Amino acid sequence: MKEDLMDIICCPLDKHDLDLEVEDRDDEEILSGQLVCTECGEVFPIEDGIPNLLPPDMRDEAPA
Amino acid sequence: MTGEGGNDGADDAGRPSLADQRGVESVYQPAEDSALLARAVRERVGDGDQTLDVGTGSGFVAAAMAEAGADAVGVDVNPLACQQARERGVTVVRGNLVDPFHEESFDLVAFNPPYLPTPSEREWDDWMEQALSGGEDGRRLVDPFLESVGRVLAPDGEALLLVSSLTDPDAVREYARQHGLAGERVASEKHPYEQLVVLRFVRV
Repeated sequence: MKEDLMDIICCPLDKHDLDLEVEDRDDEEILSGQLVCTECGEVFPIEDGIPNLLPPDMRDEAPA
Repeated sequence: MTGEGGNDGADDAGRPSLADQRGVESVYQPAEDSALLARAVRERVGDGDQTLDVGTGSGFVAAAMAEAGADAVGVDVNPLACQQARERGVTVVRGNLVDPFHEESFDLVAFNPPYLPTPSEREWDDWMEQALSGGEDGRRLVDPFLESVGRVLAPDGEALLLVSSLTDPDAVREYARQHGLAGERVASEKHPYEQLVVLRFVRV
C-alpha cells in the first residue's frame, strides 16, 4: 500500500486513526507491516502490499 | 451479471440459476453490469477526484476510475479479489463495504453489488456465491451500503450503485431516502432476464 492511503483509511471498528508500523517496503509502497488503531489498539496486518482492515470477527469466516 | 448462463437451468421466472454462472472462478470477472457502471463512472469522474470502488473484484471499475484521472481505491472482502485488483495496478484495501474509510473521504463511490435474489437453499458457501447472491430480496449488501455510504461521501460527493430490475430499484431508492440519500437513475440497459440500472445518490 502507498503511504498516502493513510489519509483515508481508519479503524473499521471505531473510525479512529491508525498508526503505521512498517516491516518491509520498496521505493513505492509498504509491502508488509501492521496498522494499529490509536484508540482501541486493534492490530490490522499488511501482507503482500494489501492492508487487511476487516474486523477481526470477519477475518476467519472466509469461504473455501 | 446476465447472459453467461443462457437458458439452461433457468428457473420458473426465466432467470439463469446461479449455479450456471459458478464456473471455476473465485473472483467475479467483469460482465455487462461492470461495463455499464464503468461507463457511468467515466462520465462523472474528473482529474484528481478521490474515488472508491466497493466490491472491486478484479479491479475493473477501479481501473476505469484511474484511467479517467481519479485517485482510485478498491475495497473487497475477498482476498483473491484483492490480489487480482492489485495485479491490475489498483490501490486496494481488504475490508467490508466503506467500513475502513474516514468520513467525507470520497468525491465518488461506486458499487456493483451482489444483487441476484437467491433462495437460501440454493446458495453455497464460497467466494463466487458471495459475489453473486444478494440474498432473498437481492439487497443483502445493497441495504448496508446505503446505510453507510453517506458517511464517507465528501459534501458534494456522489455514489453510483448498480442494481437490477430483479432487485426493485424503486424500493432501493426508498430505502436510501430513509437514510438521507436522494437517488435518481442515470443509466440503464436492457438484457434478456433483467434491466440493469445505475442509480446516483447524493446526501440530502
